[in-house]
Amino acid sequence: MHLSGLDLLFWAAGLIGHVCLLFVLLIRGRARLFPMFTALITLNVLRTVLLFCIRLYSTRYAYFYTYWGLAILDVAIQLFVVYELATKVFRPQEKWASYSRKGLIWWVLVSIFLAAALTSIPKPPTNLWAQVLFIKGSFFSSALLSELFVGMMILSVTEHLPWRTHVARISQGLGFYSLTTVLIEAAITYFGLKSGTGAYQKLTHIRMIIYLGCVAFWIIMLWRRASTAREMTDQMRRELSAIQTAATKTVEALRSRREV
Amino acid sequence: MSTDMRLFLLAVGVFFLALVASILYYYRRSRKIADATWEQLLRRLIFIDRSGVEEIALDAVDEYGVRRTDDHAMELEADQIWTLIGGMDGLKAIEHNSQVLVEMAAYVQKWHPEALVTAEALRLSAREIEWHVERLKAGVQTGNVEHWFANYAQNAVTNYYLMTRQLLNLYEKGNFPMRGDLARALQA
Repeated sequence: MHLSGLDLLFWAAGLIGHVCLLFVLLIRGRARLFPMFTALITLNVLRTVLLFCIRLYSTRYAYFYTYWGLAILDVAIQLFVVYELATKVFRPQEKWASYSRKGLIWWVLVSIFLAAALTSIPKPPTNLWAQVLFIKGSFFSSALLSELFVGMMILSVTEHLPWRTHVARISQGLGFYSLTTVLIEAAITYFGLKSGTGAYQKLTHIRMIIYLGCVAFWIIMLWRRASTAREMTDQMRRELSAIQTAATKTVEALRSRREV
Repeated sequence: MSTDMRLFLLAVGVFFLALVASILYYYRRSRKIADATWEQLLRRLIFIDRSGVEEIALDAVDEYGVRRTDDHAMELEADQIWTLIGGMDGLKAIEHNSQVLVEMAAYVQKWHPEALVTAEALRLSAREIEWHVERLKAGVQTGNVEHWFANYAQNAVTNYYLMTRQLLNLYEKGNFPMRGDLARALQA
């Protein structure tokens, strides 16, 4: 299988970028705080190496199935990363506030519905049904992830919940990437794969440039020290837990009343 | 280009712009909250007659904030509460001020993490006030507010009264220099 100079450059840049980021996560102790994000970056390192070897030494089929199998795993881990970030913002004291959890569940359901509705509209020009599935799957995941990040931002601002420095930086990177991929995936859906892969390859290169920019952003931001926050005392934790328990009961009591 | 593809591109355009507009709006809002000075927060408080608030609240709770169960508790009628608080406008002001009080607690939390507990309590009270006021707004629209006004309005006002006391207590305990300004703004 032939690889152009540009393909090799992106491959090498992706591998170097991910290895550097993984190094930062481990050396600076961020892996302990963000295990899912670390798993995502580790997967990307392994994926880059594995796909490169398969592309050089194996068949198109092996490449095809490995690529999409790992892409599905990548999206699944990205969803876990969203959950991980949400717990840091909406469950700062190991306990979800009931209103935050319900708000988030609603937002997730609305996001899935919206992403599915958008994905169901077009019929991308392709030769194989599998290509339709993959184009639609990619668009769905990018639309869903971008909605989830925007939703988290809206809920946290509405509830006056602060974002700690590193949580904010990871979210900004992933949120920006997801948002831009909505446009790229929409363009891929428009051009399709029926009349060749030229447009697909160009759009993939644009997506990789954006992603590499995000990786560079994470390397710098996660290397930097976060603003120091003083630890809560045990008494403060107990008080907060009691308040949240009381609030949950109050909210339930309010909801059980007859409405006007 | 097929009709479904045209519709898809239009829908994606609207979807993308909506997401970007939401990000910009909420980012600006979060910066506004994070960068707000003490004077700006004080200026955002709407004047509410403290004596009216106190009279309504102390009809439902005692001076320690515990719900009263004596024979003279909850004696105020709906029209008295309406006059004392200034009707729906007064309740909307209470809803607005409760949000400002949350931001005031979050303001000191930047330097004093112990304020987190009060901030969380105020956040939950503000949410409860919002819930009561929303029910009343819905009642006004359906023309069914008289029957429920006393209950919801008194709960909202009592929560607000307790919020002001919690916040003042926080500033007093922390010996924060802004305590005097806050007491004057709340007429406490």
